[in-house]
Amino acid sequence: MNAWRALLPLLAVLLLGAVFSGDGAFFAWETHRAVLREVSVMGMLACGMTVVILAGGIDLAVGSLLALGAVGFSWFVLRHGVSVWIALPAVLALGAAAGSVTGVLVARARIPAFIASLAMMVFARGLAKHWSGGQKISTYVQTPTGFQNVALPQIFEALDARVLGGQIAVVTLLFAASALVVYVILERLRLGRYVYAVGGNYEAARLAGVPVRRVLVFSYALCGLLAALAGICQAAQETQGDPETGLGYELDAIAMVVLGGTSLAGGRGRIGLTLIGALTLGYLQKVLSLNAYSTEARLMLTGAILIAAVLFQRRSAR
Amino acid sequence: MALVRRSFLGVVAALALLACSREKPAPAGPAPSASAVRDGYVIGVSQCNLGEPWRVQMNADILKAALAHPELRLVFKDAQNDSLRQRAQVEELAAQQVDLLIISPKEAAPLTKPVAEVYRKGIPVIVLDRAVEGEEYSTFIGADNRRIGREAGKLAKQMLGGKGKIVELKGLMTSTPAQDRHQGFLEGLALEPGSALRIVFEADMQWLEPNARKEMESALAANRSIDLVYAHNDPGAHGAYLAAKSMNRADKIKFIGIDALAHEGVAYVRQGLLDATFQYPTGGAEAIDVALRYLKGEKPEKKITLGTRVFTKQNVAQGGEAIP
Repeated sequence: MNAWRALLPLLAVLLLGAVFSGDGAFFAWETHRAVLREVSVMGMLACGMTVVILAGGIDLAVGSLLALGAVGFSWFVLRHGVSVWIALPAVLALGAAAGSVTGVLVARARIPAFIASLAMMVFARGLAKHWSGGQKISTYVQTPTGFQNVALPQIFEALDARVLGGQIAVVTLLFAASALVVYVILERLRLGRYVYAVGGNYEAARLAGVPVRRVLVFSYALCGLLAALAGICQAAQETQGDPETGLGYELDAIAMVVLGGTSLAGGRGRIGLTLIGALTLGYLQKVLSLNAYSTEARLMLTGAILIAAVLFQRRSAR
Repeated sequence: MALVRRSFLGVVAALALLACSREKPAPAGPAPSASAVRDGYVIGVSQCNLGEPWRVQMNADILKAALAHPELRLVFKDAQNDSLRQRAQVEELAAQQVDLLIISPKEAAPLTKPVAEVYRKGIPVIVLDRAVEGEEYSTFIGADNRRIGREAGKLAKQMLGGKGKIVELKGLMTSTPAQDRHQGFLEGLALEPGSALRIVFEADMQWLEPNARKEMESALAANRSIDLVYAHNDPGAHGAYLAAKSMNRADKIKFIGIDALAHEGVAYVRQGLLDATFQYPTGGAEAIDVALRYLKGEKPEKKITLGTRVFTKQNVAQGGEAIP
C-alpha cells in the first residue's frame, strides 16, 4: 500500500505534460490552479466513494445525487431566495438521507450494492428532473409578467471565487476539507477501523461485535452527503442548477479511487491514495486538453493509460 | 443457493424499478372536455428525448400553438433517447388511431419503417427537426444547421474586422448538428491561406457546459490572446465565458453561441455575457399550422426549412432580428 506506487503513474503523467506542454502552458501556475479546481467536484465524489469501497460496497448514485444537490440548492437559493444557512444544511441532509436509503437497502434488505445504488441513481436523476421541471434553474426566472433577471446570490459567487491572493479556488479548499474529514474518520476514529473491518471480512467483523449494518449505512450516508456538497459546488460553478449535470461522474470517481490503488474488493486502501488518483486523472485530462487532442484520441489514450497504471500497481504489489 | 435466489430477486426488483421510472407519464396535453374530443382531432406527438431543454421547448411550442385551437387534443410521448422505445410509441399512437402524427425522431434508420407504416394507413405524419429516410411521410420541418453556422461565421468575421484569434468549442462531433455547425462556420469565415483571422484552438465539448469550461481554460492557458469564442450551443459559450471571467479575460473576448432558448442563450445576451446567439427554431408552432392544414384537407409542401434569428446586445430588447 505504499504511496509511491500510486505516485509513479502521477509522475509519469506530469512528465507527459512537461514534454507535451502545449506551447509551455503546462509550466504556468494558472494551469495547475485550473487542474486543482477541475478535479475538485469529482474529487469530492471520490472521497465518499473511497469510504463506500473500503466498506466493501460501491455507489453508482453519486452523479445523480450531485445533480439533485445542484438542483435543490439552486431551487432554494436562486428560485426562492431561501437563506444559505437553511438551504446548505437542508441540501446536505437530503444527500445524506438519499445515501442512507441506499445503505439501508444494502445493509438491511441485503440487496447487492451495485443494484441498490443503480436504483438510487435512476431514482435521484428522476427526482432532480421532476424538481426542476426538466429545465435548468438559473438566474433568469419566469414570472407571470414575463422573464425576470435576478442577481446571482453571493454564495454562488463566493463558492466559485479564488482565495489566498487569488491563488486557490474555494471549491479546491472544500475538496481538501472533504478529504481531511474522511481522513480523520478512517485513520483516527474507531468508526474508521470498523469500515476497514466490514470491507475486509464482513462475517468476521460481525462476529467480533462490529455494528456492521450501521457502519454500512454510515458509509453510504457520508458518500451521499459529499455528493450533495459536490452538487452545490457544481451549481456555483455553472451559476445554475442543471438536472442533467454530472452524468457518468460516478465512473470517474471510481476510476480515481482505483487509480490510487484502493482495492475494489474492499478493506484495503487509503484516502491519501484517492487524492493521488484524482490528480492523476485530472492531470491526464489536462495534458490531453492542452494539446487539443481529438476526442477519439483522448478516449483511447485515457483507457490505455488507466489500464497501464493499474497493471503497474498490481505488478509492484507482488 | 439462497444467496443466488436473493440476488436474482434483487436484479428483478431493480429492473422493475428501472422499467417503472421509464414509464413516467409524458407531460399531459390540455385536458379536453368530452364534447371537444368528439368533434375534434387527436394529434400524437412522439418526442425522442425530453432530457434536452431544447426539446422541452419544442413540446411547449407545440402545446402553446395547439391551445389556440380547442378542437385539437394532443397526446405526448417521450422516448427518453431510445429508438426502439420511440418505435413502440409510434405504433401505440397508430393503434390509438390518432388523426395526425408529429414526430421528432431520435435517428433516421430505425424509425423510417414505423413512420412509413403510419403514413401508409393514411395518417398524415409531420417529421420535425431530424429527418427519416425515403419519401413516406407527409411534411418535414427543420432548420438548417449549416446555414446557421455560416451566419455565425460571417458575424464572427465582421465582429473581428477580418483579423484575430478564434476558439471553436464544438458539440459532439459524431452528431450531424455539430458537423454542420462546424462546416457552416468555416464557410462563413471563408478563410484564405495566410489570413490574419485564424482558429487557434478547437475542442469537442460534447454540448456540455462543464466540459466547455475546462476546454476554454486550456485554450486560455495555451494562447496569450483570444479574440472570439464560437460555441456550438449556448451552454458551451456560457461555460467559456465563465472560464474567461475567472481569469479576468472575459472583456477582451467576444462570445457567440447557438440555440437562443429564451431562458438560456437569449438571457445570456440580455445579461451581457454573450455577444450573440443564433436561434435554432424548434418548429413546434409551424408543425401545428401544417397539421391544421392537413386536417382541413389541404396539401401542404413536402419540406419546410425554417429561418433563424440572431440576438445581439443591440437588438435583444426588440426580440432579435430575423434571418429568413
